[in-house]
Amino acid sequence: MSALPRRIIKETQRLMQEPVPGISAVPDESNARYFHVIVTGPEDSPFEGGLFKLELFLPEDYPMSAPKVRFITKIYHPNIDRLGRICLDILKDKWSPALQIRTVLLSIQALLSAPNPDDPLANDVAELWKVNEAEAIRNAKEWTRKYAMDN
Amino acid sequence: MDDSTMTENSDEMEYQEDEEEDEDDNDYYYNYDNYADSGGDHHNDGNDQNSGGADFETLQGVECLNVEQAKNLLNEHVDLLSSKLHISPSLAKLFLHLNEWNVNAIVQAYLKHTNAFLVENRVKPPSTSASAMDSLPLPTPSSSTSSPHSSSSKTSVCSVCTLSLPLANDIDMRRKLHISPSLAKLFLHLNEWNVNAIVQAYSKHTNAFLVENRVKPPSTSASAIDTLPIPTPSSSTSSPHSSSSKTSNYIGLLSCGHPFCKNCWAKHFEVQINQGITLDISCMASQCNILASETLILTLLRPALHDKYESFSFRDFVSTHPHLRFCPGPNCAMVMKARESKPKRATCTSCHTSFCFQCGAKCSQRNLAQLEAEIENLSWKIERAETTDRGDLENQMDIAEKRRITLLKDFHLTAPGKEGRGSAELSLYLNSISCSGDWKQHGSEYYECSRYKENPNIGRESAHAQAREALKKYLHYYERWENHAKSLKLESAMLEKIRTRIHSKVMTSSGTWIDWQYLIDASTLLARCRYTLQYTYPYAYYMEPSLSHSRKELFEYQQAQLEAEIENLSWKIERAETTDRGDLENQMDIAEKRRITLLKDFHLTAPGKEGKGSAELSLVS
Repeated sequence: MSALPRRIIKETQRLMQEPVPGISAVPDESNARYFHVIVTGPEDSPFEGGLFKLELFLPEDYPMSAPKVRFITKIYHPNIDRLGRICLDILKDKWSPALQIRTVLLSIQALLSAPNPDDPLANDVAELWKVNEAEAIRNAKEWTRKYAMDN
Repeated sequence: MDDSTMTENSDEMEYQEDEEEDEDDNDYYYNYDNYADSGGDHHNDGNDQNSGGADFETLQGVECLNVEQAKNLLNEHVDLLSSKLHISPSLAKLFLHLNEWNVNAIVQAYLKHTNAFLVENRVKPPSTSASAMDSLPLPTPSSSTSSPHSSSSKTSVCSVCTLSLPLANDIDMRRKLHISPSLAKLFLHLNEWNVNAIVQAYSKHTNAFLVENRVKPPSTSASAIDTLPIPTPSSSTSSPHSSSSKTSNYIGLLSCGHPFCKNCWAKHFEVQINQGITLDISCMASQCNILASETLILTLLRPALHDKYESFSFRDFVSTHPHLRFCPGPNCAMVMKARESKPKRATCTSCHTSFCFQCGAKCSQRNLAQLEAEIENLSWKIERAETTDRGDLENQMDIAEKRRITLLKDFHLTAPGKEGRGSAELSLYLNSISCSGDWKQHGSEYYECSRYKENPNIGRESAHAQAREALKKYLHYYERWENHAKSLKLESAMLEKIRTRIHSKVMTSSGTWIDWQYLIDASTLLARCRYTLQYTYPYAYYMEPSLSHSRKELFEYQQAQLEAEIENLSWKIERAETTDRGDLENQMDIAEKRRITLLKDFHLTAPGKEGKGSAELSLVS
């Protein structure tokens, strides 16, 4: 494997030295492009109190192409499907090389605060979110309690 | 398929291809075609616009260009625009690409509202009133640091690779004045490399300074010279891009001024180009959509990728040019050029593929799939409609109808031309047979399967029964139309088969080559008949109910007759094993007569009467 680009080293250093509140990202011991991420559920969201595990991988041509991010913890969210894939514009066509791991994870945290059922990935969840938001939020809380609260 | 298109347009055509093609056995085929055409014209009452095979209207003034010719054509546009507006060719290309190659409209828009036009075409950032534009000079240097990334550029670090950006003396000045590096060099040279003095003098009396440094003639308003800075951005006709992109190494390469280092730009371009993006490559900064110009890209890109870039951008240019189309034929690199984009036939001189010029290869399968799905939905709902609650059903009807219209629009059913792709796509979907019954059982006297029998009591039925009826009627005609389209496609395969059959017959010395020519003759006629028949179905579908009953009956009768004769002919052609051609020629004559009768009765006498229907039929003849 080729040497780690300076950009990745810098970003990793900064993530370790000045971590973003509510987000921890630790590079894997054997692969510096692979990060173990934990995002805490934002306050005043149905995911509050949960600790959500994610994996983040920086592809070969990062930062020219977007990092690959996936939820490992199950989550009830209209823009995240059951495999943990995330529907987020900056991970797709709106990616810019000027964005960073930090900004991506912040965006994901923001997505937890503001689900967007009009652009769904998990259709059943989005449907319920639109038809009966109260019940959807109840489900989300239930899932958070069930999957994201035990260690 | 046919040579006649070529000869018709011979005055505009480059003949270099023709010499290559007219070789070997093709010769015979083409010659035959010409013969058939002249024969056909008599039948068509001198309507000599049509040619043999499947006959629909040929687009006049079509040229067939090879890649080089097409590139030259595009470059002519580019040169014209760049000389008219005094902008760099790469910028001209970008404008043309984004504005459908309409030179006049671009010139007008540009001259009227230069600023708005530049913003709209993503050459200039919208809000900052050009203060951050690289090569455009500013009235006051104080506002020049308003670029969104100015903070990071002060620390001079590329935010992509985190390497520091060297700020050389001249780059420093360039950033202060936003002029091109070459101009900066000139100023520095003429003013003893005193950056501060230059900046002061420049910002105080821009005009005088420019005149003094012999960059601008004293009197004129400097509107016409490329790379010349002009005090007010709105009056600038100089290129915002070209000058800056040639030599500068670092920071704000685009008008938005976002600073990144050269290597990162190069890598960014590389990744984008490998994804097939060329003309739409934008700034690396997040949410900045300023486009990168070709000059900049080609300057920074490593040479190995230049070819790739050129070919991708050429493809994009052709696709946005309203008068150019790639030939949809397999492995054909030709580009077709027409004076107008109309749903008419264009034929490639290189591979002889005929296609509808307007849609080219663009007809989407998606529309068809959607229609399919909606029809399924609709029929499901109709079947299960138990209550009088019609809201849902009517909604569904509406959706289905809309999808249908979209599809028809895309396929230009009213103006047929896409025998190739369109029908191929259609036949992928609906594989039903027009009538699965045995032909023998139908008898020859009155073939009724082509006719749709409407329920006479329909007016009294409930809404959902009416909807079911409408759907059934539509499907009835559509399926038949589609089937004939499919058969027509098979016909070309059949022709191939016939030719091999003839070949083997001649080889085994049963008859001479000339003896067997009547078979090809027959199958061409069959294709023509099928084509006519195919478009009698849309005609029948749109036939006005007010049309007198006897007219309708006559039409249906003739349609049925034609259908029956065509099937007979098809059967006979397939089984022709001897050179005894009497029977077959008789059949050909009958079929052609039926066709002419039908067209005479319903095409020539009733044009304009039926709106859509007649439009379709007029293309049939």
